[in-house]
Amino acid sequence: MASTVIGNEIQKWIDEIKEADILVGIPSYNNARTIGHVVRAVQAGLAKYFPERKSVLVNSDGGSTDGTTEIVQNTTIEDFQSILLHHRVEPAFKIATSYHGIPGKGSAFKTIFEIADALNVKACAVVDSDLRSITPEWIELLIKPVIEGEFDYVAPFYHRHKYDGTITNSIIYPLTRALYGKRVRQPIGGDFGFSGKLAKFYLTKDVWETDVARYGIDIWMTTTAIANNFKICQSFLGAKIHDPKDPAADLSAMLYQVVESAFDLMEIYSEVWKKTKGSEPVPTFGFQYAVGLEPVQVNLDRMIDKFRLGIKELMGIWKEFLSAQITDFLCKAEGLPKQEFYLPDEVWVDIICSFALAAHKKTINKEHLLKSITPLYIGRTASFVLETWDSTASDVEEKIEQLCKIFEDKKSQLSEKWE
Amino acid sequence: MDSFLQRVIVEPFNRFLDRVLQFLPDLLSSILIFIAGILLGLLLKNLFLRIFSAIKMDKFSQKYGLAEILQKSGIKEPLSVILSRFIGWLTIISFSILSLHSLNVPAVEGILEKFILYLPNVFVAAVILFLGYLLSNFFGRAALIASVNAGIKISGLIGRSVKLTIFLLAVTMALEQLGIGKGTIVIAFAIIFGGIVLALAIAFGLGGKDAAKEYLEKKIKGEEKRDDIKHL
Repeated sequence: MASTVIGNEIQKWIDEIKEADILVGIPSYNNARTIGHVVRAVQAGLAKYFPERKSVLVNSDGGSTDGTTEIVQNTTIEDFQSILLHHRVEPAFKIATSYHGIPGKGSAFKTIFEIADALNVKACAVVDSDLRSITPEWIELLIKPVIEGEFDYVAPFYHRHKYDGTITNSIIYPLTRALYGKRVRQPIGGDFGFSGKLAKFYLTKDVWETDVARYGIDIWMTTTAIANNFKICQSFLGAKIHDPKDPAADLSAMLYQVVESAFDLMEIYSEVWKKTKGSEPVPTFGFQYAVGLEPVQVNLDRMIDKFRLGIKELMGIWKEFLSAQITDFLCKAEGLPKQEFYLPDEVWVDIICSFALAAHKKTINKEHLLKSITPLYIGRTASFVLETWDSTASDVEEKIEQLCKIFEDKKSQLSEKWE
Repeated sequence: MDSFLQRVIVEPFNRFLDRVLQFLPDLLSSILIFIAGILLGLLLKNLFLRIFSAIKMDKFSQKYGLAEILQKSGIKEPLSVILSRFIGWLTIISFSILSLHSLNVPAVEGILEKFILYLPNVFVAAVILFLGYLLSNFFGRAALIASVNAGIKISGLIGRSVKLTIFLLAVTMALEQLGIGKGTIVIAFAIIFGGIVLALAIAFGLGGKDAAKEYLEKKIKGEEKRDDIKHL
C-alpha cells in the first residue's frame, strides 16, 4: 500500500535509519503534563530490555498547542547509570511528527504503522501519552512476546479501579469475548504490542475515514487480530493510572465511536463470530500482583437523573427496536428510588443485542441509534456502582465474569436474529 | 321553407360538421400523444426501476438514513420505487399537457399556459415542504438526543422547537415560492422567530438570572461534585 502520511521530513529520518528492530509509538494530543514521563519510561525500557536492538521511538501528534512535541524532542534520560547498571551507549532514535487525516487516535496510529512498515520493524508497541503508571517493564512485556514468543498481538492486562474502564467492563470486553471466543480482558486498553507483520496487515485495510480513525482504533486492532487468526496473548502491566481522555470529547461521542466500531466489525466478521462457540483464555505473561489504586469519585444522583431523563425523552425512539419486555422494565426502573435502582445483567445484555441488531438492520439512523444508548449506559453504570459499592476487586471481577457468561449464553439468539 | 331550413339547420350543421372534421385530426393526435405518454411513462418507470436496482440505490438510501426518514414520513416504499414512479408520472403529465396543447383550442391553451407557468412553483414548493418535513424530523431528533446526553432537563422542548422551527421555515419558503402573501409571510416568520428569541433572552435574563449565575459559576469554578469515572 502506498504511503500517504509520511512527509518529507519523516522520509529523511527513515532514509537515515533505514531499518529497525523495534518501534514504540506514542500518540498524543495536548499531553504535556504526562508525556515526558512516558517518553522516559519507553527510553529506559528499550535500553534495559533491548540493548542490542535498533529501536525507534515515534511520537505521532494531533497538533498539540501545549508544547507536547517540544517535550518529546527534549526529553532524554541524562543519567542512565541512576536507572541501569549496564546500558547501551546509543539511545533509541526519536521521531516526532504531526499526523494527517481525521483528528483522532486512529489517525495517529496509522502514521505509526506507516513508519513501522517503512522501517520494516520486527516488533512494535504503542502506549498512551496520558499514562502516569507506565514503567520500563511495560516495554519488555509488550515487545518480548512478539520478538521471542512469535506472538502477533499483545493486549494489555491491568489492574484498574472497579469503576475505571466502564465501557470496557460493561460492553466491549463481554461482547468481544462472546463474539470471537478469546478472553482478552482489555480489548480497548490503549497500550498494545504487535508484530511488524500485523502492522503491515492493518495498513491493507481501508478504514481510516471511519471512526477507527478516532476512538474506534483499539477495538478495531484487537478484533482484526483475533478474527484474522493472528497469534494473540496478553501481558500483565500492573496498574493503569492515566489522565482522563481528551476533556473536549464527551462521553456520548466516545461511546458512539467505540460501539459503532464494534458493531461495524460484527458486520465484517459475521461469518467468524457466528461459527465461534464459547470462549477460551489467551496466554498471559507477566508477574501478577495486587496494586493500590486511586479512589474514584462517583456522582450517583446525577447518573440516575440522566438515565431518568433518557427514559422520559427517548423511549419513543427505543420502542422502535427494543422489545416490550425491556421497555416495560426500563419504565419501572425509572420510578425506583436511588437505593433500589437496578438494571440486571440479563436486561443489559438484551439491550446491547437489540442495539446491535437495530444497527445491523438499519432500523433508524445509525448515529441517532448509537448516541441514544448513552443514558442507558449511564443507568447501567449507576446500577453497577450501587451493586458493587462494598465489593472487593475480585468480587467485581467475578461479577464481570457472570456478565460475560450471559453474553455468551444469549449469543445464539443474536445469531438467529442477525439474518 | 326549403331555403329557411337550409339556412337554419343544414348550413349550421354543415359548419359544425366541418369544424368537427377539422377538429377530429387534432383530437386523434391528442389521444395518440396521451396514449404514447402513458406507454412511455410506464416504460420509463420500469426502466429506471431496473437502473436504480442495478446501482443499489436502496442500499445507499438506507446507509445514509434516507430510507428511515421516508419511513418516518409514512412512506413505506423504497426510494427506487418512489423515484421511478415519479419519473413515470412526470412523463405522463408532460404528455398530457402536450396532448391538450395539440387540441388547438384557444381557451384551453390560455389555461394551460397559465398552469404550465405556475406548475414549476407548485413543484418546487412541494419539494421544499417535503425536504423541510424530513429535515425537521431528522434535526429535531438529533437535537433531542444531544440535549438528553448533555443532561438538559428541557430536552423534549428543545427537540420539538428545532423540529417546529425547521418546518416553519420550510412552510415560509414554500409559500414564498407559491407567491402567497409574499412579504407578509416572511415578515410574520421573522416577527415570530425574533419574538421567540427575544422572549427567551428576557426570560433567561430576568427569570433565570440565578440559574445563569449558577451555570457560569459551575463553568468557571467547576462543579462541586463530579465523576472521576474514566469510561474507556
